[in-house]
Amino acid sequence: MATTADHFQAHSEEHGHHDHEHKPAFFARWFMSTNHKDIGTMYLIFAIIAGIVGGAFSGMMRVELAHPGIQYLDTFARWFGAVNPDFNTTLHTWNVLITAHGLIMVFFMVMPAMIGGFGNWFVPLMIGAPDMAFPRMNNISFWMTVAGFLSLMVSPFVPGGTGNGAGTGWTVYAPLSTSGSPGPAVDFGIFALHLAGAGSIMGAINFITTILNMRAPGMTIHKMPLFVWSMLVTAFLLLLSLPVLAAAITMLLTDRNFGTTFFDASGGGDPILYQHLFWFFGHPEVYIMILPGFGIISQIVSTFSKKPVFGYLGMAYAMVAIGVVGFIVWAHHMYATGLSVNTKMYFTAATMVIAVPTGIKIFSWIATMWGGSVEFKSPMVWALGFIFLFTVGGVTGVVLANGGVDDVMHDTYYVVAHFHYVLSLGAVTALFAGFYYWFPKMSGKMHSEFLAHVHFVIFFIGVNMIFFPMHFLGLQGMPRRYPDYAEAYEYWNHIATIGYMVMASSLVVWFVNIIYAYVAGKKAEDNYWGEGATTLEWTLPSPPPFHQFETLPVIGETAHH
Amino acid sequence: QDAPAAPSAIATGAAQGAAMASGAGSYTPMKPVEGIGMPIDGAYGLQTQFSKTGEYGEWIHNIILMPIITAICVLVLILLAVIAVRFNRRRNPVASKTSHNTILEVVWTLVPVLILIGIAVPSIDLIAKQYKPAPEGALTIKVTGNQWFWTYGYPDNGDFEVISNMLNVPGAPTINNGVREVGSKPWDGPSHLEVDNRMVVPVGEPIRLQITAADVIHSFAVPSLWFKLDAVPGRINEKVLVVEKPGVYYGQCSELCGAKHGYMPIAVEALPRDKYNAWVLTHAGAEIDTGKKKPAAAAAVPAPAADASEAAPAADATAEAE
Amino acid sequence: MAGTKNHDYHILPPDIAPLATTVGAFTFTTGMVLFMHEMPGGMFVPWAGMAILLASMFMWFSKIIHEAHAGDHTPVVQLHQRYGMILFIASEVMFFVGWFWAFFDFSLFPSELAESIGGQWPPKAIEAVMDPFALPLLNTLILLCSGTTVTWAHHSLIHGDRDGLKKGLWATILLGVFFSFIQAYEYIHAPFGFGGNTYGSAFYMATGFHGFHVIVGTIMLIVCLKRTYNGDFTPRQHFGFEAAAWYWHFVDVVWLFLFVAVYIWGGWGYPTH
Ligand code: HEA
Ligand code: HEA
Ligand code: CUA
Ligand SMILES: [Cu+2]
Repeated sequence: MATTADHFQAHSEEHGHHDHEHKPAFFARWFMSTNHKDIGTMYLIFAIIAGIVGGAFSGMMRVELAHPGIQYLDTFARWFGAVNPDFNTTLHTWNVLITAHGLIMVFFMVMPAMIGGFGNWFVPLMIGAPDMAFPRMNNISFWMTVAGFLSLMVSPFVPGGTGNGAGTGWTVYAPLSTSGSPGPAVDFGIFALHLAGAGSIMGAINFITTILNMRAPGMTIHKMPLFVWSMLVTAFLLLLSLPVLAAAITMLLTDRNFGTTFFDASGGGDPILYQHLFWFFGHPEVYIMILPGFGIISQIVSTFSKKPVFGYLGMAYAMVAIGVVGFIVWAHHMYATGLSVNTKMYFTAATMVIAVPTGIKIFSWIATMWGGSVEFKSPMVWALGFIFLFTVGGVTGVVLANGGVDDVMHDTYYVVAHFHYVLSLGAVTALFAGFYYWFPKMSGKMHSEFLAHVHFVIFFIGVNMIFFPMHFLGLQGMPRRYPDYAEAYEYWNHIATIGYMVMASSLVVWFVNIIYAYVAGKKAEDNYWGEGATTLEWTLPSPPPFHQFETLPVIGETAHH
Repeated sequence: QDAPAAPSAIATGAAQGAAMASGAGSYTPMKPVEGIGMPIDGAYGLQTQFSKTGEYGEWIHNIILMPIITAICVLVLILLAVIAVRFNRRRNPVASKTSHNTILEVVWTLVPVLILIGIAVPSIDLIAKQYKPAPEGALTIKVTGNQWFWTYGYPDNGDFEVISNMLNVPGAPTINNGVREVGSKPWDGPSHLEVDNRMVVPVGEPIRLQITAADVIHSFAVPSLWFKLDAVPGRINEKVLVVEKPGVYYGQCSELCGAKHGYMPIAVEALPRDKYNAWVLTHAGAEIDTGKKKPAAAAAVPAPAADASEAAPAADATAEAE
Repeated sequence: MAGTKNHDYHILPPDIAPLATTVGAFTFTTGMVLFMHEMPGGMFVPWAGMAILLASMFMWFSKIIHEAHAGDHTPVVQLHQRYGMILFIASEVMFFVGWFWAFFDFSLFPSELAESIGGQWPPKAIEAVMDPFALPLLNTLILLCSGTTVTWAHHSLIHGDRDGLKKGLWATILLGVFFSFIQAYEYIHAPFGFGGNTYGSAFYMATGFHGFHVIVGTIMLIVCLKRTYNGDFTPRQHFGFEAAAWYWHFVDVVWLFLFVAVYIWGGWGYPTH
């Protein structure tokens, strides 16, 4: 997005006297960047592009699911390069769509936006640091994510199993992903995860080092803003869970291509082993996607209530607890695989424990607002939406946590409803909240509050229409990953598809708002949210200078988060 | 005890069976009852359950979990509404500075703990019940997932095998070559769910299902029987199934298994013992398992009641076979 | 304030190395797909990718060394590097957790159904395993020994004994190379193959990744040796050396786990060869 660059340029002209605003030329600035804000901007733009691609995939899915029967898959198969696709190829295309959608949204939209985007921008600003600890490694983290995305985008166009593309689901379960999917598509997918994973691990190292070592004088660890806390916990989860995924997908790779039998039953291998390894990563991964969101919401709720966060320490350590417990609950994704009775009981109990620290967070947000002087500016409205929608998604998680009950829910749309409530309605809502909160800070231009509210209302109605009926479908037994279904599932599916159109129109409002901001938006002041916004980024101009805090800020004894 | 209350469809099926059959081992598939053992359009709850675990699970879901999670969501919503009304900038221009309240924090930690314990007790009990192993003499059925159909083996009945394919949908591309279209027989259930050869089981008895797969992972799932167990290559997963009422119960493969994952449904037809035996005898080389081990086992296994209730129909079957 | 930097952090100028390294990595992975599917370019592209990768990493690390000389590595920057290295090693530990997980799954619960396994460990298909107390034990001793030689080098460095530093490094590197050669010899003469069953898979992938780490560690030490000859490292500032030493110890510890679990316990009582 050249606008951003131009804008920065314009800004530096305005402040010509700031000779430290000397910025590198275009190529050096954007392709060789060692500046956390520029890298953060690139991550955000990347995530938005990936979100549009992933959202388009889900649109293709929703039109197909509007009615029983196969309507559009044949066309989609042709888009991916199939010539006169036969029926199996057509059906395979469905699996390619959901796989790409899941992987894009998880690895290339939510994670880059939350961690790479907002994390990069605001962790250094909030702790009073001039940049990240490893500015050059920061850049490779970004490019590795891009490389991973490219690899994933090649995959649908090359042969997979029954047609072009990897049709394994985002979980890439063996042996469907090994003996079940010859052709290079799945290998491209696996390498996409290797590349993006390497980027994320380096990112995690960078964040932990930055947060532990670069806090401004006086900012003790218990004075860090909660967003920084959330990034710290997230980075640890990444650091410790991603390498296990790397091992698991490397096993897939050697099983596929070099004759090992990790997951091949005829050689004594165990397909369930893959699931253990995947979910040992996969469950922490879901908290990786939501914890930064928790952090964003904490900042916003405090800002617009004009109150410090209620129960700060409890909030911080609740996230630590979620992170720690998150490592010992993974097999709740595997209740139907034939776990032993004791295993199933253990994972049921352990999983439910997570509701406690999460509840602490929900109630502390409410207590923060209680007694506050609450202003319903756009970020706050999105934050309120988050709190409610995440609660809905969270409590259905508690239903699924019951191993005996999950027997009827597992791999049905109930699960799809659950995880979209925490992701597409939780994480994404947090992203938009963060976006409206910080967009003027990052760009220097105010967006339209009116449009932002309209965006929220339409989005809220749309996504609830898409995903609430999925609970009903799931309870009635509709399985996931089906392109076609019995007639008895038509009613709610149809409503969900209409909901998609509603939601999609809200995104148009969002784009209009961004354009409005750049074209006609007022110039943003340093602290455009006023007295409630107390963290360090509000002490800087909007946008902040190319290199901020050349003299480190000192945090006083009495300062609070 | 449930058998007499069986829906009239059974009677119809039986009548058809009687009408068409003259020799030993005659069998006509049962006509399913609309809305039983299958999804209902526009419905928003669980399917009606036809197994003990199913009834228990349904109770846990409907009576314990749903009210609790609804209450939690409503509570959060109400609190947010109160904030919107009472603590907005106009009503409350000056924010309080309270940021701690130990009692409150303890309460909202402990109350969820108690709620979760309340959920965990029946939930863990349900898991324990589901895992009760099959009694010694229980009928074994081997279920194998294949890309993209199911095979059902009956080792106790002479080891014949049933291959079960989804019926083709009229007007849609052919899914399984050589298989008829759905609706071409009077007993056909809903499209996408009905199969050419159902998995027939005796009603009321514990059945040991041994589930595995031949190629990739599949999952044997029947929502109205609260049953879902993955079919994993290289593993035999075992679990007991007891169907309470005669009827047809539909399910679908529930683990992504490739292109036609959506087209390998499961149809379980639960028949009284006599009808089951008659069905068994329609297969080449089949034999009735009761003769071999049921009588001896019946005394030992904790399901004599079920057996007793079937004693009469069983005699019936012999009579019919004459 | 303007333009003056009043802190000790290291603010870097723009740099092409990250993008170049990524291009190398992407070319490599793409090339590997071509190679594995015997597609055109499969014999060439992975090597090209590897070359770009190595060249850009060389460029990158050279810059770091250069910056160290330029005085950019203030105490706080060195602290960053320490944290970075520890965290990197932590992630490596988790990577090996994955391989050990597979190994223990297969060895504790050997498949009953697969004919090649027959419910036993080592599996039926394996006629003999390596005698852990022959070459593997030697390798254990070599690595333990190399752990002490690297410490010797470190102490020499701290005490300003450049000669001892060189000797210690030479010894460590030679031991590392020895280890790799013995490992290669063992692979060639192993009584079981790579594919086809879980034993070969778990054994070769776990020990193979360890071996790969030994080679990486050896390269790091070689770089340190070269830098020593160049006159780098002072008794007070030598994090490049320490990082290599930490890495080396990590590789050593992984080997001990492999030796005890995979070689000794995993083949206990089985015919050896
Ligand atoms: C952001 C992502 C995210 C988050 C935060 C969560 C949060 C939770 N998830 Fe979810 N989950 C996913 C993403 C996420 N999940 C995904 C992607 C899948 C599917 C993967 C796949 O198969 O493809 C999945 C699947 C999934 C399953 C497997 C279902 C199946 O496949 O059969 C289970 C089962 O236990 C589960 C449970 C939970 C629980 C208990 C929580 C808890 O953390 C929720 C805690 C929150 C609350 C409970 C609400 C707030 C609390 C209160 C207001 C206090 C009072 C509450 C009580 C006393 C109950 N999840
Ligand atoms: C973060 C994760 C995420 C998100 C946001 C979404 C968003 C959506 N998903 Fe989901 N989905 C998954 C993760 C996600 N999904 C996963 C993991 C699966 C399982 C795959 C599998 O089975 O393997 C799945 C599966 C899945 C299915 C089931 C397919 C099947 O089982 O057959 C369906 C069906 O309708 C669906 C629909 C949708 C729709 C309509 C949206 C819409 O909400 C999409 C609209 C788009 C947006 C709301 C994104 C907009 C955001 C941006 C443009 C970026 C913003 C950035 C900043 C502000 C910086 N998805
Ligand atoms: Cu078989 Cu899905
Ligand atoms: Cu989980």
